[in-house]
Amino acid sequence: MWRYLVRRLIAAVVVVVGVSFVVFLVLHLTPGDPAQVLLGPRATPDDLARLRQELGLDRPVLIQYLRWASHVLRGDFGRSIMQHRAVLPELVRRFSATLILTAGGVLLAFPLGTLVGIVAAARQGTPVDRLMTAAAMLGVSMPAFWVGLLLIITFSVHLGWLPGAGMYSPTGSGGLTDLLVHLVLPAITLALVPLSIIARLTRSSMLDVIGEDYIRTARAKGLSDRTVIGRHAFRNILVAMATVFGLQAGFLLAGAVYVETVFSWPGIGFMMVNAILTRDFPLVQGGVLLVATTYVLINLGTDLLYAYVDPRIRYG
Amino acid sequence: MKRTARWQVLVAVGLVVGWLLVGAGTPQAGPAAKTLVVGLVAEPTSMDPGQLTDVNSMRVLSSVYDTLVRFKEESFTLEPGLATSWTISEDGLQYTFTLRQGVKFHDGSPFNAEAVKFTYDRLLDPKHPYANTGPFPFAGFYYGAVKQVTALDASTVRFTLKQPFSPLLNNLTLNTGRIVSPAGVKKWGKEFASHPTGTGPFKFVSWEKNVRIVLDANPGYWDGRPRLDRLIFRPLPEEQTRVTELLSGGVDFIVDVPPDNIDQVRKDARFVFYQQPGPHVWWVTLNVNKKPFSDVRVRQAANYAVNKEAIVNDILKGTATVSSGPVPPAITWAYTDQVARYPYDPAKAKQLLAEAGYPSGFPAIFWIPESGSGMQSPKTMAQAIQADLAVVGIKVQIQTFEWGAYLNQYGKGFGTAADMGALSFMLDPGDPAPMLSLILDGHALPPNGFNGGYYKNAEVDSLLDAATRTVDLKRRGELYRKMQQIVATDAPWIFIDHALQNAAGLKKVTNFKLHPSFYMFFNKIGVNQ
Repeated sequence: MWRYLVRRLIAAVVVVVGVSFVVFLVLHLTPGDPAQVLLGPRATPDDLARLRQELGLDRPVLIQYLRWASHVLRGDFGRSIMQHRAVLPELVRRFSATLILTAGGVLLAFPLGTLVGIVAAARQGTPVDRLMTAAAMLGVSMPAFWVGLLLIITFSVHLGWLPGAGMYSPTGSGGLTDLLVHLVLPAITLALVPLSIIARLTRSSMLDVIGEDYIRTARAKGLSDRTVIGRHAFRNILVAMATVFGLQAGFLLAGAVYVETVFSWPGIGFMMVNAILTRDFPLVQGGVLLVATTYVLINLGTDLLYAYVDPRIRYG
Repeated sequence: MKRTARWQVLVAVGLVVGWLLVGAGTPQAGPAAKTLVVGLVAEPTSMDPGQLTDVNSMRVLSSVYDTLVRFKEESFTLEPGLATSWTISEDGLQYTFTLRQGVKFHDGSPFNAEAVKFTYDRLLDPKHPYANTGPFPFAGFYYGAVKQVTALDASTVRFTLKQPFSPLLNNLTLNTGRIVSPAGVKKWGKEFASHPTGTGPFKFVSWEKNVRIVLDANPGYWDGRPRLDRLIFRPLPEEQTRVTELLSGGVDFIVDVPPDNIDQVRKDARFVFYQQPGPHVWWVTLNVNKKPFSDVRVRQAANYAVNKEAIVNDILKGTATVSSGPVPPAITWAYTDQVARYPYDPAKAKQLLAEAGYPSGFPAIFWIPESGSGMQSPKTMAQAIQADLAVVGIKVQIQTFEWGAYLNQYGKGFGTAADMGALSFMLDPGDPAPMLSLILDGHALPPNGFNGGYYKNAEVDSLLDAATRTVDLKRRGELYRKMQQIVATDAPWIFIDHALQNAAGLKKVTNFKLHPSFYMFFNKIGVNQ
């Protein structure tokens, strides 16, 4: 187990370094640099040259990468070229915002999705099942940014119940209540697709399991429906669930980009899109490092979860 | 036992839900007496004026800082700012300013000639001890002609130039040259970008990154205390979000109402819609180095073929006016409409093409950015231009680039790879120089400038040069008018439009005026309670 963990962690470091290097290379090979974006059409050759020198862009790409990497190893992520502030606190701020949003999405999507799936499977063929299946189908098909706009129009503009933008109200105290109120609509928007996917997968896994011999045996023993589904069947769909949870956690993190844009949620996805468009190299690099690390850790966590939920799986 | 546990869970969930609902109904913490909340199009990039390159951030800084010289309300006419008067030497090489006395920075340090010298030395001298608080991208472009800044006494400062550069006064109104507190820069170093200290009508209070910027009225402001007590800026980058926040009361005021929502805001009795011409130009550069656009008749034909009214009315929904040359009408002292005009006339275009030897048209490559500062709706506009040109036989193939890559491509010149390319600029100094010298001048062919289509006309070059050196504004206006007439006839561009700037706010916001420079001034604005 420990040897496996160490091996995976070493591999994770290799993946993260590889990703950061490839992104750095791709970004520098793309035409256009921050100096050009800053100056726009006001770019005289002298100003361009001076700005490139001040930003260190006149050095070879490999040297630039090594300089960046050596600084990062010392905990210095540099300063954003476009935002004129230190990268690390900005990443922390942005990533926390995304994590809050993602956590909201996870808390809605995972339990609700599982519950809907199990209920639908247990009531297979009934109107309840058909309604839930149709709703899940609809949920998967609706793009998040569109749902977000509909929710804003309904609940912010027409009803005026919930705020439709930002994390805190501009004149408010900025406390936890303020945050939660602002979180409701974006979290629902973000959760909708994963919730539907999880519901559909739970339902089909559950139906597979319910057809197994041991379930028939359990029923034959006279166990209650609740025990059969809750203990015997549910336990056996957990491996499939762990996989989809891992994938969906990644999806939630990625899907946050759209939701962040629609709700002006100051998260990392929205920041990355802008940073890439404006060639803000230090910010992109820092963001990539953080996001890649998170993905690798989620994957690792999922694999470890397998062993926990299914005693037959052992890593050596 | 089990049952109890379930009840406990249910009660807990009920409590949380109830708390959420109660929380949602709680009114927000009491705002200061007169507060205005403004929705911006993006998070400001910095609050150090020298570092800025985007209009959005500049709109915030006009409330915190002052300039030596400024524009009057709603015009490009100069008036005293932190300088009360100025004289220009005969040879146009020395500008001497008398400074306003008794003005203090928000940190309590005095505003004087040394502060002016510090501000400009920091921008222009790479060896200045605080040059490392940069970079300052626009400093060279607007103030590169300045050789040295001298403090003659506490309230007199002199700018000595390398060569006559008449746009200097207008350029001093720009955001880049706002006067910063030397004590503030020394105290904060690189973090000055987040701790702005100026002499302006509002003092910086706090900046919660990506959430809001809070400014409070400067009670001792030399031009009168602002009517507002508190000014809050919120970044709302998504267009629809910005509008819905205004509709739902999350902000009192927004800038850049998207064209599709203007009608809605206009018809709503709760709001006032503001619109004004700005110094913006959007055009299509034609490659005059390469057939067929090397023939002036073909270039004129292209101008006749494009239905600019339709672009302005249908795509831009009236948020722009049709352009007839490289100088926007907002710059009244330099603008003329007495130039060759190209009304929509496909028949005339076909005739000109036939005369030039292209009766059945030709294929052309058209470069556009997918988005970009000041580019409006480049894809939709390019498609309309493509459709119009197809009618007269010019078969346009559009090639789209992402903005950073596009600037790179355009700056290198079209070479033989492209026949057309869209671009726009903003003349926020209210002066065609030095922008036109970098875009239209024969000395600015790539790689020396941004004249990507290689237009070169000796007379235009000398007019632009003379206009940059002449001090007298009336004479400069004549030179620019003459230049516009030649350029309109030469038609090196398809002249498309000049954007109108807009904003919308609640009725209770009083005395707001847009400024043609696209900057925003909030010191005279009030809020009726």
